[in-house]
Amino acid sequence: MKKTFTVLTAILLVLVLLAGCGSPAPEEPADPADNGATGDAETYKFAVLAPITGNYAEYGKGFEVATQMAADEINDAGGIDGVMIELEVFDSQGEPTESADISRRVVEDDEILAVIGDFSSSNAMANAPILGDGGLVQLSPTASHPDYAGMNEYMFSIMGRQDSEAPFFSTHLLQRFKQAEAVGVIYINNDWGESAHANLTRQAEIDGLNIVAEENYVEGERDFNSLLTKVRSTNPDTLALIMHANDVALVANQIAQMDWDVDITALGPGTSMQIIELAGENVEGLLLSTPFHITEENEEAWAWAEEFRSRANFEPTVHPAVAYDTVYLLKAAIENIDGEVTRDAIRQELQDLEGFVGLTGPITFNEAGDITRLYLIMRIEDGRFVQETDFDYIDQ
Amino acid sequence: MRTDEMRNDIPKTSFWRRQMSGVRDFGKGIFDKIKAIYEKRKLQINLIIILLLLVFPYLARSNYIMGIACRMLMYSVLAGSLNVINGYSGQFNIGHAGFFLIGAYTEAIFATQFGISFWPLLAVSGAFAAIVGFLISLPTLRLRGIYLAIVTLGFSEILRVIALNWSSVTGGAMGIKSIPSPTFFGMTISNSSNYYYIFLFIAILFLAVTGRVLKSRVGRAWISIREDEAAARSLGVETRFYKSINFMYGAFWAGVAGAAFAPYYRFIASDMFTLDEGFNILSMVIIGGQGTLVGPLVGSIIVNLITEVFRFAARYRMVVYATLIIVMMWWRPQGLVGAYDSVFAIKKSQRKPVRMASAKEAGEE
Amino acid sequence: MEYFIAQIVNGLAQGSIYALMAIGYSVVVGVVGLVTFTHGEVIMLGAYASYYAFTFVGENIFLGIIAAFFASWFIGIFVYKICYERFFDSPRHISLICTIGMSMLLKNLAQIVFGPNMKAMPQPIALNFVNVLGVRINTIQILIIFVVLSLSLGLYIVNNKTQWGIRLRAVSQDKQASALMGINVRRTAMIGNSIGCSLGGVAGMLIAIYYQSILPTMGGSLGLKAFSSAVLGGLTEASASALGGLLIGLIENLGTSVLSNSYRDVFAFIFLVLVLIIKPEGFSKKVGG
Repeated sequence: MKKTFTVLTAILLVLVLLAGCGSPAPEEPADPADNGATGDAETYKFAVLAPITGNYAEYGKGFEVATQMAADEINDAGGIDGVMIELEVFDSQGEPTESADISRRVVEDDEILAVIGDFSSSNAMANAPILGDGGLVQLSPTASHPDYAGMNEYMFSIMGRQDSEAPFFSTHLLQRFKQAEAVGVIYINNDWGESAHANLTRQAEIDGLNIVAEENYVEGERDFNSLLTKVRSTNPDTLALIMHANDVALVANQIAQMDWDVDITALGPGTSMQIIELAGENVEGLLLSTPFHITEENEEAWAWAEEFRSRANFEPTVHPAVAYDTVYLLKAAIENIDGEVTRDAIRQELQDLEGFVGLTGPITFNEAGDITRLYLIMRIEDGRFVQETDFDYIDQ
Repeated sequence: MRTDEMRNDIPKTSFWRRQMSGVRDFGKGIFDKIKAIYEKRKLQINLIIILLLLVFPYLARSNYIMGIACRMLMYSVLAGSLNVINGYSGQFNIGHAGFFLIGAYTEAIFATQFGISFWPLLAVSGAFAAIVGFLISLPTLRLRGIYLAIVTLGFSEILRVIALNWSSVTGGAMGIKSIPSPTFFGMTISNSSNYYYIFLFIAILFLAVTGRVLKSRVGRAWISIREDEAAARSLGVETRFYKSINFMYGAFWAGVAGAAFAPYYRFIASDMFTLDEGFNILSMVIIGGQGTLVGPLVGSIIVNLITEVFRFAARYRMVVYATLIIVMMWWRPQGLVGAYDSVFAIKKSQRKPVRMASAKEAGEE
Repeated sequence: MEYFIAQIVNGLAQGSIYALMAIGYSVVVGVVGLVTFTHGEVIMLGAYASYYAFTFVGENIFLGIIAAFFASWFIGIFVYKICYERFFDSPRHISLICTIGMSMLLKNLAQIVFGPNMKAMPQPIALNFVNVLGVRINTIQILIIFVVLSLSLGLYIVNNKTQWGIRLRAVSQDKQASALMGINVRRTAMIGNSIGCSLGGVAGMLIAIYYQSILPTMGGSLGLKAFSSAVLGGLTEASASALGGLLIGLIENLGTSVLSNSYRDVFAFIFLVLVLIIKPEGFSKKVGG
């Protein structure tokens, strides 16, 4: 018995000593800049963190396919000044602990110049301190937490801030374009939905838009009947759905099953063909806001969607489109570098990048490292997306 | 209800039988030898192990490897604390993630809202989790086996949904960010090579304290409840009291692990504490060996190692992992170290192969 | 008032699906004597079987039922061989972990084989609306209630009027005694397990039709609902489990109509905890087992 205690005290003593002597050798490098890889590498290597398995596997696969597509295109066109791009995909399973472990690993892998991902805000935010200390850019296509990009200077997101989309949605789509009189809001209870909902209701109050119901639901919900019945009892003429493509389709189907005649608008799904595939004529007339559109009129995006479909076997949503853009963003940043291509130089050039126009529209980072986008209004008509307003609608 | 007859029905594919038992004996022999050597030079070996563990960061010189070591140590405390409940008192908790959540949120809220330092919060978070454990144990004392299991599962999910919705306190869907890193005599402990010592300290403390508790009157009471609750009661063991204490003790350490977890990641959100997390902890306990002190430690090391090593399998990784779990249950259902009793655990006179018959019967009502 | 009637109809439609899953679950637990976490994945695979039947053969509801039923039947045999047969005599946590592993295995394989994305489920019957006693319900809800009732009736007949059923009930009541009476316990348990899985598979098809969509990860929460419903019903009694499923469906929908939808799972679990505190064996008449 006493032995155990002696041992324990000994450990504690040693611990104190060790801690006193200073921290162990593998500290973060004093200057992240000299940790980066050198420019004469044969390839530029990026790590892609995505939920390849687990409950978000659908999005993870979209990430994997879209980023690889972009890399293949760039390499086929001769790479970046003759240097090929190489992507290494890591499966984060949608779990922050996994994602953080991968982050530590890629920080120590000198070949890796930047990180694309992770999908969810929780993961991206768990990675932020590690990647920040390691001086490695985390360029997340989709992390939408309003505080994520500001966590340190290496964090970037191109999802688009909800303090611009949600007010646009409220003022221009719901009030001006749709002329809604009583709006029922249904939003997904995660960081993105919560932030969009807060911004939308704030703007609605300023504009005097009448919101009659605000309901939320947890990710993964499939039964919206009781929620819809509840919203219906408040007699809205328009529903504002703040959710992703799958959920919009589920809600639209269940509205049809209830035999409820109500106009639907959606913030978030973008012009994903998946909505039409899943909900068919139940989404006829649906209005949505989007920074870009995948339609036959937009040839570049349409060709992209075709290619995506053939590789992934399902319709693209907004998520793979933004993931696709991240690779081109990194390419643009590297092209702007004068001297050696290092992790830090990429960060600097991403921050300073100007005039970049990707598949999803123009991207210029603000100081925090995320972006403000401009939005279009689209409508679903005869199973197709039709553009209703242009980017200058807000100025009219 | 025992179904001994049914065992005879199982077809004996003799070849595989022989192979399996050969492998099993091989394992047993090795474990017995290790155990014998260990028994002979207990103090020296313990010291060497601890010294090696202490200098490990200098040998590894990699935050990545130390990150995995941190994860192993953290899960070994979580799995170990679950094992105290499932393995020693024969109760059946499958919602351990709930206590983990309480610990993490307690630390995060007190640290960010009131600026309290990390070290006292370790104990405070543990205490909070223990209180919750006590509250959960109250209504569940009458329940046994699978009924108890589903209630613990339900509570774990209830706690998570509350954390998701109670925005004013828990940050709701936004989670809690910028949780301050602990400091130690003015030095900030932030990267995994440093944080390793915190997890190591907690893990060693857990093993040492739990080893003593299990040898004490309380521990013997737990084991007697596991072996035969009715008999224990008839011998004058206050089974309700001890089962309650057992839940609180397990919850306490899960809370401590949670408190160490929160500032390690500096950001927590409710989606980190799903039921899958609870199943994950449970798998570690059972793969390692329920009812032994080192079992969960081994389980945690193995599971975390496997998931890391099989990273190259990409999208087949979870398929491989799932298959390994099933194979493990076929090969060594008693767990990796379950064949002999723990080297730390109970008195020699009480050592016997781990049998969970009483726990099984409890569930089968 | 009309509002609450509408919510009760929602609850009943959802509850009857839970009921069918729970009946399947209770049959499995009854004959095998071990709990399972694979039921959700069996439900999902049943749904996929009917999806492929609808897509490649034809959109006929009976075809879907048959496809779901038999696919789940064979999956049931597979699960039985891997997760139960060896472990009848072992502590129950071993087969429990085995079923958790199996559930991970099936889910991840399904994501690889079927693709991880949500697919639109073909609708074998047209959407129409009928007024029943002044309440407006749709044909899909009628279909669900009809299928659930006829399958429950079928199970009742099998259980009470056939040799098979008598064996099944004997095994689920007392394996030792059944073995002594000359019943092949392992075979009966395997068939019983498959019957339970098949009911789950058909429930999966109904769910996919009801929500008009199908997804490899749909099983997780459904399996838990089936589990909770069956526990409410005392785990092994089919009719009590069905009642448990109905009640959980009702409680969820009524709870949602009063409070937020985000608390949906909490209502069900709080109800479950309350019932178990008052009556530790659930609604089952049987005490002990």
